[in-house]
This record gives sequence, structure tokens and C-alpha cells, in this order.
Amino acid sequence: MTRRAEAGLIVAAALLVSIGVAIVEFTHGDWLDAQVALTFLAFAGSFGGLHLATSRWAPGASSLVLPIASFLTAVGFIEIYRLDSHLASLQRWSLLIASATAALILWLIRDRGVAVLRKFRYVLLAVGIGMLLLPLLPDSWPIHGATVNGSRLWLRIDIPGTLRVLSFQPGEIAKVLITIFLASYLAERAEAMSVVRRKIGPFKLPEPRHLGPVIVAAGAAFVVLIYQRDLGASLLLFGIFIGMLYVATGRSFYVISGGILAVLAGFIAYSTFDHVQRRVEAWLDPFAHYQDAGYQTVQGLFAMGSGALTGSGIGLGRPDLIPAAATDFIFAAVAEEMGLAGSLAVLAGFALLVATGFGIAIRSRDRFRKYLAGGLTIVLGLQALIILGGVLRLLPITGLTLPFMSYGGSSLLANLAILALLLRVSHEERL
Amino acid sequence: MNIPLRRAAYAMLTAFVVLIASVTYIQAVKGPELRDDPRNQRVVAWRTGRQRGPILAADGTTLARSTPSAADAKLYRREYPEGDLYAHTVGYTSVLFGSRGIENTRSEDLVSNRDSTISGVLNGLLGGDTNPRGVRLTLDHTLQTIAAAALGDQKGSVVALDPTTGAILTMVTYPRFDPNSLVGSDASAAGAALEADADEPWRDRSIDETYPPGSIFKVITAASGLDQGLVSPSTEFDDPVALELPGSDSTIQNFDGETCQNGTTVTLEFAFVKSCNTVFAQLGMDIGGDQLGFSSQAFGYNQTVPFEFNVLSSVFPPPGTIEDNPPATAQNAIGQRDNRATPLLMAMTAGAVANNGTHMLPYLVSEIFTSDGIVEMETDPSIWRRAMSPASASVLSDLMEQVVISGTGRRAAVPGVRIAGKTGTAQVTGKAPHAWFIGFGPVEASDDTPQIAIAVVVESGGDFGESATGGSVAAPIAQEILAAFFGA
Repeated sequence: MTRRAEAGLIVAAALLVSIGVAIVEFTHGDWLDAQVALTFLAFAGSFGGLHLATSRWAPGASSLVLPIASFLTAVGFIEIYRLDSHLASLQRWSLLIASATAALILWLIRDRGVAVLRKFRYVLLAVGIGMLLLPLLPDSWPIHGATVNGSRLWLRIDIPGTLRVLSFQPGEIAKVLITIFLASYLAERAEAMSVVRRKIGPFKLPEPRHLGPVIVAAGAAFVVLIYQRDLGASLLLFGIFIGMLYVATGRSFYVISGGILAVLAGFIAYSTFDHVQRRVEAWLDPFAHYQDAGYQTVQGLFAMGSGALTGSGIGLGRPDLIPAAATDFIFAAVAEEMGLAGSLAVLAGFALLVATGFGIAIRSRDRFRKYLAGGLTIVLGLQALIILGGVLRLLPITGLTLPFMSYGGSSLLANLAILALLLRVSHEERL
Repeated sequence: MNIPLRRAAYAMLTAFVVLIASVTYIQAVKGPELRDDPRNQRVVAWRTGRQRGPILAADGTTLARSTPSAADAKLYRREYPEGDLYAHTVGYTSVLFGSRGIENTRSEDLVSNRDSTISGVLNGLLGGDTNPRGVRLTLDHTLQTIAAAALGDQKGSVVALDPTTGAILTMVTYPRFDPNSLVGSDASAAGAALEADADEPWRDRSIDETYPPGSIFKVITAASGLDQGLVSPSTEFDDPVALELPGSDSTIQNFDGETCQNGTTVTLEFAFVKSCNTVFAQLGMDIGGDQLGFSSQAFGYNQTVPFEFNVLSSVFPPPGTIEDNPPATAQNAIGQRDNRATPLLMAMTAGAVANNGTHMLPYLVSEIFTSDGIVEMETDPSIWRRAMSPASASVLSDLMEQVVISGTGRRAAVPGVRIAGKTGTAQVTGKAPHAWFIGFGPVEASDDTPQIAIAVVVESGGDFGESATGGSVAAPIAQEILAAFFGA
């Protein structure tokens, strides 16, 4: 596929989202207005701008990535607009800022490539961990953490002299920084870590000192779980550690021991925290906990079930009945109004994006680029799998955004940054 | 170096396949169940806010319609322009109280097929008509209006039907309720008030209530005697002041406490026209409890009447219960004691006499039509059961005509039309009697003449109270409807 085709598909996604917004206007009894044009301009400007930046600074990159991402963003945006047009206008600004940032990343590494990131790996790690801890800042400080829906994931910055605040989820950025660090760290240590010294039964044991990273991974995830009370973020972080260790070493020992640790930690969390216990019970039988912990899951199931094959039609369903429909449960909203047709398209989009990401990793020539592309793809795919699994009741429900589709500036910024890095790695595979 | 990457990719893509299977299961298989869960608020908006087809009276009068809601263009409001007149037949469909009546039984046709279930999509793709259907009832708006006015605010029921087809022409009950109040904004309060009303306005007394039929049951006792060949109109009976019932101290007397004619003997015809209890109690005992039970069953007693709605079974002691109990047989033979009947079955009984002894299946829906007005389904009249022989029906027809010409049913007479009828004044312990009239016209109608059979019951004497009789209270109500039907 060519850059020209990429541009055409981005225009198609911009048209798609504009038509979606127009349909929402129609079903609410309004006529065409500036919202349609503004949405078209925002999408054409942001993804079109990224297309131009890619053409200039990563011309060899895969041209599949941006069209898929723009399609997913468009579908999510239609539902956000349908649920709350005020949120949608904020999301438009976020999209512009996030794509500008992604273009900026492409520009910054235009000469030296992703390799330059290796030099800053400990800085990136420190910033990443710092960002993870930022929401723990006390409430009385001008820059402080905030607890939303029982999870302390937010950072709020009071703008002096006004009542306005900037809200941000630093964890979204942290996951990208930590992934870059891991790719760099593992690229140096992988060979040593995959050396087999001992065997227990079928399992090949690595050197004990190489178990360090696994324990660090479990520890960090558990700390996040305890202090920020967020199952999704800790599961994602843990999954990134384990996934990248496996990609780097090829040792299933890491996956198995990680799995055992996760189950153990999950069991401890279940028996220690009431809110974890409620969530697990609501997961096993949401209908029995309809009045409390199962309410959101059941509303999501009602929405998806009512949508059936072709959906209620955009603007004709009741996704507003689902709590957090614009963020965590955006997929249920899409499934209700666009039906199974829409939900399969979204899932196919994510699967295609993940496959493209792994393809970039596999074709890359050096370890760092491989691990970086693989790790970033794991971040994207795992986050989608965890939240979608929750919505579809395959996993307990956890608070995570669906990449590209959910409302949220931090999430969009982080995911477009991931795209910029993926595009650059893809470009460099030909060098 | 690439093997772990490939495996990670396969693992993740497999997970997406699991998600795809899961969402397909939820949306394509479990969809209807989740959509119809009563806790799913979409159901309420979807069921009650969707456009529904019209329900019309036989002449096209609109009984139920959907109009676009002023507040929300895609939602509709259900309206019942005739208010309480058709409350029990047309029914309602309401957020809080579910649905009843035709709105309930014909809901499948009345709602649009335009949905996204597999069959809905296929239907749409194959070019099927997905617009809601309309339902035309057999009810005659003029007769319905006159019946309601004639019944007034007396508790009771009026049922009229075409004896040759079974088509229900009138079905009115009082007290009633306004279905509009159950779909409006004050539905909750209206429903609570309805529920609390001791007069039970929600009950359709035509089918959902049984009354002792009193003397109108003499039609069935006479039919049984005629069918058995035990009697003819000229058969002579003793004419005592009081008929002593064997094996007991009790007696049966006539309505006025006098002899039927002159105290010697009296013919069956005279006794029927004057509605003498003594003669029919004796006839009942002559027929026997078991045989009377079989005859009642032939007329539809102790049976489920197949109808649009559930009809309460009318009750007569079944064969094997009162054969050895002559007092019980005698009292049941004149429509008292355990004998209970619905107004619908009594209208059908008059209809069977008119229709040569054959019960037609009663029906309320004459046709289902598409939004383009094309008739898609038409009800074909069908026979339910044979109540008596054509010969007996012919004899009874003459006897009933005499009741209207010179007997207790004179006030049901319509000038220029041969009307047949029978009155009943059913005694109820501790309450004023129920006033009954059943009848039909014209007698000996040719095939192409419009015919009507009717039953009227007024609970506890209505406005007349203790002094009420079938002839004074129920017959005049029937007369108004018959007169309107025949345009007199």
C-alpha cells in the first residue's frame, strides 16, 4: 500500500466520522451545523498532519497503521459525540494536541531514529515511575492526585487564579516510557537472561539474578494495585513486563511464573480488598449483583444484546444508560448503535493493528527495535483485550480506556505517541 | 529471535478471536433475551414508544392509534379516542401495567417488524413489509355506543353477536376505565386507583364473571326435554302453588307465589312464556341431573370457550353429581343453586337457538390489514359445537317469540321485526336479583337477512334494586340495541 492510499483512507475516515456526526444531528432533530465541518477538519487535520509528518520523516513506514487508527478513532468519536457533544469538542482538541505531539516525536528523532531513546533509558524509567506515583500527591497541593470511581489515577493541576483544573492520567504516558526502557534494557541483557543453567522437570530455569525483573514487575504492579486501587492499570503493567520478558528471552518460564504470581496476587487482593471481592463476584454473576457491582456490566450486556445484528442505528439507541459509556464502555455503546456489524469491524480493526505492529517487530533487524515495536504493540493490544474482555464479561471489569476509541486526552496522547514510534521503527526496518 | 514474537502475536490474535466469538454470542444469540429482560429500560421505550398499528371498529371508527410524540420525533404515543367504551376489548399497552385486550393478543401484528433480529433483517432484505399491521374488529360502533348508554351506570354486561357467524357485535361492561389514563403521565396514580376500586372496573363482566342465570336457563332445560323427546310445547304439567321437592322440606314457587295458570294443568308453552318455576323444576327432575349436565355441556357449560381472551367457564353440576338429588336438580334446572354462566355464553345460547341449534365460535377480530390497507388475514366463521337438534331449536324459537309477543319479554319487542327472547330474574341471597334477558331476531330469518343474538345482565337489579325483573330492567336495554340494529 502506498502513502497515497493512506491519505485516501484517512480522508475516508474523516468523511465517516463527519457523516456519523451528521446522523447524530439528524436523529436529535437538528440539521447540519458547524459540528460536522469542525469534526471533518479536526480529523483531516490531525491524521492528515500525521500522514504528512510520516511522509517526510518516516517515508518508509507501513501505510496500514494510520488508516486503522483513524478508523477506530472515528468510530469511537461518533459515539462520544452521540453521548455528549461537550465531551466530543474536548476530544477534538485532544486529538489535535495528541497528533501534534506524535508529529513532534517523529520530527525529534528524524535524524537519529529510535536508537537515540536508548541513551535516555534511565531518565525515561525515572520519569515513568515518577508519573506512576504522581497521583499519590496529597490533595492540598496545587498539583495533586485525585480519586475517581475509587481509583487514584488522576493528576489535577489547579490553574492559579481560576477554578479551572487540568486533569491528566500520567499512568497512560508512564506505560509508554516504561516500555521504551524495557526494550532497551532487555536488548542488552536478553542473551544473558536466556542462558539455561538448570532444569526442573520440563522448565528451564534462568540464573537466579535474572529473576529480578520478574519480581520487580510483580512488585510494581502490586504497589499500583494497592495504592491506586486500580486493577486494570496494574494488570496492564504486569502484562507488559511479562510479555516483553518472554519476547526477549523466549522462555515460557517467565510467562508461567508470572501467571502463578498474578493468580497469587489476585487471590491475595481478593481476600484482602472488599472492592476486589465485589468485582469478582459481580463478574461471576452480574445479574445477581444488578443493584450494585454488576450494574455496569449488565447495562453493557443489555446495550450489546439490544443492538443485535445491525444495531439500533446511530443516535437511536440508549447507550446513555450505561455508566462510563464514553470511556471504559465505549465498545458497548458502539455495539448497541452499530450492531454486531460495528463491533466486528472494531475488533477486526484492533486485530489488524496488532498484527501490523507485530509484523513491524518481526521485520526489524536489531533487538532494540524488535523489542520496542513488539512491546508497544503488546501495550496497545493488551489494553484493548483487558477492557474489551471486561465489557464482554470474559474478565472482571477493570477501569481502562479502549485505545483510540474512548474519551480521554491522556489516552489519545499516549496511543498516538505509540503510533509515532511504531511508524518510525517500521521506517527504519529498511535501513 | 522472531519465534517468541510470532507466538506472542498468535496468542494475542487468538484472544481477539475469542472476543469476536464472545461478542457474536452476546449480540446474535443472546440478543433477544437481553433485549427483553424486564430490567432493560430499552424494552419499555421500545415497546411502548414504537409505532403501533391502528385498531378499528367494524365501520372504521378508530379505537386505538399511534401519534408521534411532541417531545421526541422517534417515539409515539398510543391514544384511545373512544375512551372507556372499548377499554376491555381493545385494552391498552402501558409502561407500568403491561398490556391487555387486543393490544396484548395481537401485539405481534400491531408492532413493526423492523428490528435487527436475524428474522427481522432477513424480512427487510427480502423486501417484506415491516410496517405495523392494523386490526379491524367485528364490534359495531353504533351498537356499542347505544349499549353503553342503555346500560348506563348500572353494573352488568351487554353482549351481542351475529348468530350465523359468531362475530361479536357488542361487548360492553360497566363499570369501565379509561385506557388513556394508564398510558399517560399520571398512569401510576390511575392504576393504583383502578386497583383499589371495590367495583372492579378492570373486570370484563362479559367473560370474566359468572352470574346465576335464573330463568334464562329454562331455554336449555326446555331444549334438553325437547331433544330427549320427553316433551313438546303442548305437554301438560301439574300446576301447583308450590312444587314439593322429593326427599326434602323445601318447595319451589313461581315468581309471584301463585299457580302458573289456573291450578289444574298447564302446557309447557304457557309455562315457558310466563316463566313458571314449578313446571321447569318438574321438567328438570323428569330429565334427571345427569342428562341435564350433558345438555349443559352441549351448550358450552363446563367448557373453555375458544375466544380472543380467556373466558371463565360457566358452571353446571357435572354428570354424576346431582342425579340422586332431585332438589338440587330442580333448582339447577331453573338456573339457581350452583348454576353460573357468563354473559358471553348466554348470548351464544340465544345465538344457537337462532342458528338451528349450532354454536358458532365467537370472534372479535374480523381482519388484519397492512399499512396499505391490503387485507392480510380474514377470520373465517367456524362451528364450535352442536347445542341441540335443529327441530328443538325451531320449537324453542317459536316459544321465545311468544315470550316477547305476550310473555315476560314484551318490553324487548321491536315493531315490524320478529324478536324472540327469554327473561331471567336470578335470586341472590342477601342481594337484589340479577336481571337477565337473552334473545335474537329476526325469527325464521332468511339466509341473507342480518341477524343478531343478545344477552343483557344487570347486576343486583340495577336502578330498580329489589323490585327488578329481567323483563323490567334487562329487556328494555336489549330492545334499544335490537331496535338500532334493525333500524327501527
